[in-house]
Amino acid sequence: MSEFVNVIGSFADEEESVHAIEELRHSGIGAVHAFAPFPSEKIQEAMAQPKSPVRACVLAGGITGALSGFALTIGLSMLWPHYVGGKPIVSIPPFVIIAFELMILFGALSGLAGLLFFGRLPQFDPIPGYSARFGSDRFGVVVRCADGEAQRAETMLRQSGAEQVEREAG
Amino acid sequence: MADALKPTYEDIDRAVMRTLEPPGLGYWLGVGFLATIVLLAIGAWTRQIYEGLGVTGLTQPTMWAIYITNFVFWVGIAHSGTLISAILFLFRTRWRTAVYRAAETMTGFAVITAGLFPLIHLGRSWFFYWLLPYPNERGLQPDFRSPLVWDAFAVSTYLTVSWTFLLVGLIPDVAAAREKSSGWRRQLYTVFALGWRGSDEQWRHFSTVYLLMAGLATPLVISVHSVVSWDFAMAQLPGWHSTIFAPYFVAGAIFSGCAMVMTLLIPMRKLLHLENEITAWHFDNLAKIVLLTSLVVSYAYITESFMTWYSADPFEITTFNMRYWGPYGPLFWLMVFCNCVVPLFLFSPRIRVNLKALFVISIFVNIGMWLERFVIIAGSLTTNFMPSQWAFYHPSLTEITITAGSFAWFLMLFTLFCRVFPIVSMTEVKEGISWLRQALVESYKKAA
Repeated sequence: MSEFVNVIGSFADEEESVHAIEELRHSGIGAVHAFAPFPSEKIQEAMAQPKSPVRACVLAGGITGALSGFALTIGLSMLWPHYVGGKPIVSIPPFVIIAFELMILFGALSGLAGLLFFGRLPQFDPIPGYSARFGSDRFGVVVRCADGEAQRAETMLRQSGAEQVEREAG
Repeated sequence: MADALKPTYEDIDRAVMRTLEPPGLGYWLGVGFLATIVLLAIGAWTRQIYEGLGVTGLTQPTMWAIYITNFVFWVGIAHSGTLISAILFLFRTRWRTAVYRAAETMTGFAVITAGLFPLIHLGRSWFFYWLLPYPNERGLQPDFRSPLVWDAFAVSTYLTVSWTFLLVGLIPDVAAAREKSSGWRRQLYTVFALGWRGSDEQWRHFSTVYLLMAGLATPLVISVHSVVSWDFAMAQLPGWHSTIFAPYFVAGAIFSGCAMVMTLLIPMRKLLHLENEITAWHFDNLAKIVLLTSLVVSYAYITESFMTWYSADPFEITTFNMRYWGPYGPLFWLMVFCNCVVPLFLFSPRIRVNLKALFVISIFVNIGMWLERFVIIAGSLTTNFMPSQWAFYHPSLTEITITAGSFAWFLMLFTLFCRVFPIVSMTEVKEGISWLRQALVESYKKAA
């Protein structure tokens, strides 16, 4: 049974890290993941990630919020009818304002919940291959591969411009 | 010089992390001074609760005055923070990256400050929850057709969403700060970073949620000040009952908020040594927004007056005559000077990059926009439909102390935040580092 290792390349340049990701993914050597100090669209494209499911959370939250707003205003107005100035008890135009605000509120909070859930936050266990510099001024490319492929992965990372390559037990 | 003009990622981290170093005695003296004013205001509020609203200058028919003026002023201040952080994000505006965190922080604290005023104004502050819909046995529910209830929903949503947006945006930055800190700061950043590591998977969800939150915050910010304006416009009172109020208030909010951003950023940039991160380019663009919104506000003043004249409504015309020439007339003309005349200096490109001039102009705008709310709120109430009821309002010492306390409270919270959390977004400045380099070159050219 072969052992697995994480081969970690550290890049000063975003373009070089993108190149490394593309090369490693193309080679099929192992699972690739990356770290970046900012949201790099180039890295996200190179990783060919699907769209985040957080979008659905925000949509569902927004719809729930709007419906809750109408349910709250219409329901309570009918339960406790209060006649003011001849206005109808169920006055849709002003209720739209409450529904709108609750749509935004629920949408935003659902987005936060989606980020925490899908981003697996809070997460205090270490992520393989992470280094403190990847949050600051370096881009990290990590490939988890069989021990026998590690040398090849290292070479690919170096050829792409990695200034430092390390191995870590996978 | 070459290095200063071409900052690296590491330089940005270093500059921002320097702002998180323990501050000196001067800082604490400043915070202590602000805290003293806050304590005085708390004392004044306590007295008001004990004695009742009689300690204020409120008198029939002017039952809304300085407290509501402060409420509208602070909600307005909050708006430009969301404009810069959310709306300009959606437009991919390049200059926002270095200034949006400060603006967003300003928003968070301005909404908190604004939220205090309805409570203070209530007199019996402990009954604030009567505005909230909750199951009860008293046969009472808030009237959802009332603008005051819309306001409770709008402002509390705005408070929640703006703080959520701020704290989500902070996650990658506090994670970066966590790696470079020790002691209690490291523990604090570890908690706020939620274990963020900046993996591609985390960024994928973060980018999506950030974009969507910006998309939600954009209509929210417009709705909130529209709802605030409807607190007035829905009433039949001359001087308030106008369809122009929503866009007029939103433009005024962005105008005053951007001025407040400049008031805060100019000293902050100097005191925290962020000259290479927040450049003349950023101020130039902020000043352009102030100029544009000043022109919109001036146009609104003219339209409002024109509509009053064109309506031939004697009550409206009387209210406006009193606004121009009555006891509050000098405040109205001072407002016009501050909001319509002084910002015209910003047509000059040289003034737009002269920070001393910008600071002075921003103070004028802050004063002018506070006066605008006072003139609309208290001024319109004093001259209602029945001249026999007219009575002019004069603020009491209690109200003045609480108002001064709100400014001190806001500045104190902002000052404390600046030294605890990264006030410039390292993440976004790095993302747009090429724009910053270009801006620095431009700034040096302008200085030369």
